[in-house]
Amino acid sequence: MAARPGTPASPKNFKIQPPQPGQPLYGCEHVQRLFNQDQATTNTSIQHYKAILRNILDYSPINAQTAKAAEGVTVTASLTSTYLCLQCPSTLTEDDCVKHGNKKSHRFYVDSRSGALYCQMCDDIVWDPTFEDLRLTKMGTGSFTASRKRKQDDLLAVDPVKDNPQYISTNTTVASCKASGLRGIYNAGATCYQNVVLQSFLHNPVLRNFYLSDGHQSSNCEVPYCLSCAMDDMFQDFYAVENTNGYTAANILSGFWISEKKAFENLVTTKEQDAHEFFQFLAEELHERNGDGKKPETGSEHSCNCIIHQTFYGKLQSTTTCQNCSGVTNQVQSFLDLSLPLENLTQKKGKKNGNAKTPAMTLQECLDEEYIKSDKCEYRCHNCNSMQQARRQTAIKCLPNVLSIQLKRFEFKQGRNERAAKIETPVHFPLQLNMLPYTERARTGDTKENFELARACTYDLLSVVVHVGEIDTGHYVSYCRVGDQWFAFNDHKVELASKSDVLSAKAYLLFYIVRSLA
Amino acid sequence: MSSDADRTGKAGVIVAPDDASPIDKLAHSVLDDLLYNIVHDLLIKVHRDEKTARANTAAIKIEKMASEASETSTPDSRPDVRIETDSAIYEDGKVLLKGNPLKTTKDVLCPRCHLPRLLHPTDGKGAKKPDPGIIYCKKHPYIEKPGFDIYGQTWVAPGPGRGKKKKDMEKKLDPNDASSPAPGEGTAKDRPPNVLSFPSATCSKCKRCILVTRLNNHMGSCIGNSGRNASRAAAQKISNGGSNGGSQNNDNTPPGSQKGTPLPASRAASPRKRDGDEFDEDADESDPTNPKKKKLKPTTLTKKVILKTKGNPANKKDKVKGNSMLSVEQRADDDDSKDSTVQVAPKKSASKGGPSPTKKQKLVPVKPQLPFSAPKKVKRDHDVESESSGTLSSPPQ
Repeated sequence: MAARPGTPASPKNFKIQPPQPGQPLYGCEHVQRLFNQDQATTNTSIQHYKAILRNILDYSPINAQTAKAAEGVTVTASLTSTYLCLQCPSTLTEDDCVKHGNKKSHRFYVDSRSGALYCQMCDDIVWDPTFEDLRLTKMGTGSFTASRKRKQDDLLAVDPVKDNPQYISTNTTVASCKASGLRGIYNAGATCYQNVVLQSFLHNPVLRNFYLSDGHQSSNCEVPYCLSCAMDDMFQDFYAVENTNGYTAANILSGFWISEKKAFENLVTTKEQDAHEFFQFLAEELHERNGDGKKPETGSEHSCNCIIHQTFYGKLQSTTTCQNCSGVTNQVQSFLDLSLPLENLTQKKGKKNGNAKTPAMTLQECLDEEYIKSDKCEYRCHNCNSMQQARRQTAIKCLPNVLSIQLKRFEFKQGRNERAAKIETPVHFPLQLNMLPYTERARTGDTKENFELARACTYDLLSVVVHVGEIDTGHYVSYCRVGDQWFAFNDHKVELASKSDVLSAKAYLLFYIVRSLA
Repeated sequence: MSSDADRTGKAGVIVAPDDASPIDKLAHSVLDDLLYNIVHDLLIKVHRDEKTARANTAAIKIEKMASEASETSTPDSRPDVRIETDSAIYEDGKVLLKGNPLKTTKDVLCPRCHLPRLLHPTDGKGAKKPDPGIIYCKKHPYIEKPGFDIYGQTWVAPGPGRGKKKKDMEKKLDPNDASSPAPGEGTAKDRPPNVLSFPSATCSKCKRCILVTRLNNHMGSCIGNSGRNASRAAAQKISNGGSNGGSQNNDNTPPGSQKGTPLPASRAASPRKRDGDEFDEDADESDPTNPKKKKLKPTTLTKKVILKTKGNPANKKDKVKGNSMLSVEQRADDDDSKDSTVQVAPKKSASKGGPSPTKKQKLVPVKPQLPFSAPKKVKRDHDVESESSGTLSSPPQ
């Protein structure tokens, strides 16, 4: 509703953000004057700002990037920012702003690439709480009301009593400013494969919010050696304690040793292990402690409301088309992570280039191979009632909030000397990933002009797990992002990392978080 | 293209030569514009962070002045005074900015603790000496210095290497224990405060203090081999390995005897020992209940603790021992041994020093309140309850 252009002016009066302690009420004196004229001015200002944001975010960028003064004298398209007047429908280049301002006394303009508000009298960009709130919700959720149905609705559900700031302040303890969640984890003897996965969980905002809001209270849980309790304690130690020394994950370790999971029996040894297997183990264990208790059956469409499912699980749909009768069968299954094989593509690319050196690939190429291209297979068609050649195509039906991707660097090579080998092919991965092309919706419908949908499918890189060394002996390190800053975690040692450090790493596991949640 | 893009884009950095073809000039100006956009985006991000922080600082300062001026005791109320500074006006409980906070406000206050933020790291790249007369917010800029972590910490070389035997480790720990009450304190005094050593942790099973780097190996032998499944698996392995190995290595021992001998001995000896261990775990289990909970201070704390002491021992025993024949008779002793083992536990961890001791001492007085005849009954009931809830709990929403 809100996204429809030209919505008739609603009789509703817009209100500015209520005063917050520790924050000025307006972005600058001039915005203050604008909002204090009369209700009508406030209404039109906010309405115009919303319309401009829609224009910027929901339509082709060419709209906002084309400067057209109200008289229609000059029309110029620009790659750089143009300025949309808040008080009239003009779009101006930077130079024309001054002229327009002098002529019409319109003093507020919106940057066409960021939606930020420029005040001509301050000659600066101003960050007004009311306008900023609109801009951030629009960018985050695609609408102004922030009530879209998403999986995390349960997480964001507002309790009128418990959401009262008074209630929160009397019932919470404020953690020290020093407790930032940035601590190393000591290596307890070949446990770096656990440390990297734990760090990626610790810096996952969804899991962090769950545990810090008492999603699983270790004081109320009676399961002995519960891994979720160990996680709860670990989150408390990272985010509520001033300690900057490394953390000893003794409870996680003992919970892990005592766990009776048959499928992971081979993990419980003192040898070096696969971080991806540990990730699966931890996810399933936490699901069982927090969820419906059912074992997640692989290959089925298992849905559950537990924190692990709400965080990591998505759904894949594979469509099989019979080549004989063109009959289509769909199968939906849930996934914890996307596993991307590297070997075939490496060979294909190597052949094309014709040289022995393994060429670099991109993450998108790997995703194309798995979730856009179709492959041939044999299957038993119900219509034809016989075995038929078929084309099978897999696409993502439901994207998770946190997308985990495994690049299969460890492959079991078949042949004379059967053994596992590590594939060292570098795979370039982006900081920002658009998953729209790999979704079911992109395959069935035209999504080219749907900027809102594209924004909902945009993911930001959250953490990277890297394996260095040989297959049977090596070391795991990881990179995690906190805000805009990247950190390198090497067991107990935490160091600052640059984006280029992160992007040039030979990733093994990648965690992306959906932008509209962050 | 923007209007001034005859020769270049907006940044004016990438300029085509004068004799370049029109398409060349276009390409240059497009690249130039893109460069401009990247810088523009970065600048807007930094500008937003900085200007908001300064504006909030101005607001925090004037709110503090207002509450001091009005002298009301309630911190949250908005006093009815008017105050004006260089950067803001406080009126009717509202904070209004005056001028551009980037110009009027020079420092940044932490929005949480209202102390000034340290703006430069204290060591390494870009370091500046902080003013010793100012108490800064505890959130410091992270340090970037080779060999040190973000807090400027470094570690002493880990003790004996991987190749060293367990005996060596224990030898190294023992003298420390004897000389000083807290392990490692003696050596810590010789080091600068930012040089850390590897800590030790308590094994949740045997309660021994193990250097962290040995913890996984220790748990492997302590938990991994003593568990019911592991011993079974081991027996399986022995029988398999015995039969295979027997044929290949000309091992004379018949597989049957390899498998058979260890079993009776271990069965007979282990359960009694294990019980003692388990009760230690119980005491330890409840201690990580961190006092610094984020939300909802546990008002039901005492209730929880009681629940735990009642529920856990029985619960765990069933989990670990399963259908052990001894479990029923054993329980009588357990109740006696409980008090003694629990009282030992606090001493151990108190010497270590941590957030746990207080918690444990809270725990101890609760226990004697339980009438001795009652727990057994409750325990059983609880067993049934928790057994079923362990698998079928958590209401489907």
